[in-house]
Amino acid sequence: MASYYDIDDILVEEQRVPVAFQQAVNGVDIDPSAETHCVEPGSKVELPYWLAHELHLRKVAKMKVPACFNQRTKLELGADGASVDLRSRCLYFYEFGCKIAPLVGDRDMGSFLLSAFRTRYQKILAKAHNAAFTAHSKLLSYLTKEETNLYEAAQSSMAAFKKWRIGGPRFERASVLGRKRKEAN
Amino acid sequence: MMYGTKAIQLVKEIANGEKGQLTPFSSDVFSEVIAECSQHFADLRSLIRKMQEAGLDVETTKNEDHYGQLIHHLSLVRNKRCLMAYMYNRAEILRNLVWKVGSEIPEEIQEKLSHSEKEYFKKHSEALKSYMSRVVLELAVDMVPPKDPYIKVRVLDDMGEVELPSDNTANFARHSMHFLKRTDAEKYISLGKMEELTG
Repeated sequence: MASYYDIDDILVEEQRVPVAFQQAVNGVDIDPSAETHCVEPGSKVELPYWLAHELHLRKVAKMKVPACFNQRTKLELGADGASVDLRSRCLYFYEFGCKIAPLVGDRDMGSFLLSAFRTRYQKILAKAHNAAFTAHSKLLSYLTKEETNLYEAAQSSMAAFKKWRIGGPRFERASVLGRKRKEAN
Repeated sequence: MMYGTKAIQLVKEIANGEKGQLTPFSSDVFSEVIAECSQHFADLRSLIRKMQEAGLDVETTKNEDHYGQLIHHLSLVRNKRCLMAYMYNRAEILRNLVWKVGSEIPEEIQEKLSHSEKEYFKKHSEALKSYMSRVVLELAVDMVPPKDPYIKVRVLDDMGEVELPSDNTANFARHSMHFLKRTDAEKYISLGKMEELTG
C-alpha cells in the first residue's frame, strides 16, 4: 500500500478511466457533454481513477478497461515487448494496471503485466550497464516511470562502483544547492 | 474542467523537479486549490440542504443528490491529499537541508520558501540543536565516515580570516590550499566554499 504522501501514487490515480454512469447524479460538473449540472444514467465519461474507483465500488458508475490496456497493446507487447513505446500509452503502465485489474474483471491482466515487465526488465538492465548515455535516448523515451527508475538505479550503482574502485573526493557540495559552481571572477 | 486538475499541478511540480531540489513555492496555485475546496464544501452543503428541505433522511437516502454529495466529498479529499503531499515532500527536503548546511538557509533557497516553511526550518534546526546539546554530541559531522581526521582542501570563495570550530583561525583566501581538521572543513565544503583535494 503506497503512502498517503506518495507523489507517484497520486499521479497514478490521476490516470483517466472510461466509465458509464448507472445512477443519476445532481449538482456536479463532470460530464463535459451535459448542459446542466447533472449526469444522466447511461452517460459515458472519462474520469480520473480516484473518482472512477470510488464510484465503481458504490455502483454509481461502471469502469471499463482504459485504452492503454487494449487488445492492440497486448498483441504488440506479446510480439516484441522490449521495443513498445509504453511511455506514450501510460507513464504508469504497471502501477495503473495493478489498480485497474481487480476492478474490471480482466483475469489475464496480472499475468500479462508480469510477462511484459519481465521481457522489458532484462533489456533495460543490459542497456543500462553497457553503452553510453547518448545511445539510449530512444530507449529512454519508451520507458514508463518505473522502468526509468530502474534504469537510473542500474546506472548509478555502476557509477558508484567505479567511483569506489578509483577513489575520489568523499565530501561534496550539498546537492540541494544545485549543481552549478560559482564562476571565478 | 475536471475536478482536482489544479491540485495535480502541484503534485506534478514535485514530480518534475530534480530529486531533492526545491522549486519556488507556488502560492497562487496553492490558494486556488484551497478556494476550490471551499467551493466543493459549499456545493456539498447546498445539496444536503436541498435534501433536508424535501424532508428526506440525509444518511440513508441514495438519490441523485446523495451521489452529487459523494462526488464533492471525494474531490475535497483528493484535493486535500494533493495539498498535503505538496507540503510534506517539500518539508522533507527542508529537513534534509538542516543536516547538510546547518541552521542558516542559503539565500538562493530562502527565496523559494513560503513563510511557514521558513518558520518550519528555523524550528526544526532549533530542535535539532537543542537535542544535540542535550546528548553532548555533534550529530551532523562525519556524515561520511572519515578515513583520516585531516584533509586537504582548496578554497573556492574568498572568506578572509575565519575562526574555526577547533579554536584556530585561518586565512581563507580564494585558491589557497589548507590542511584542515575534517570537522572544520565539512561545513564549508557542503556550502560549496571549498573542495576536497585528493591525490
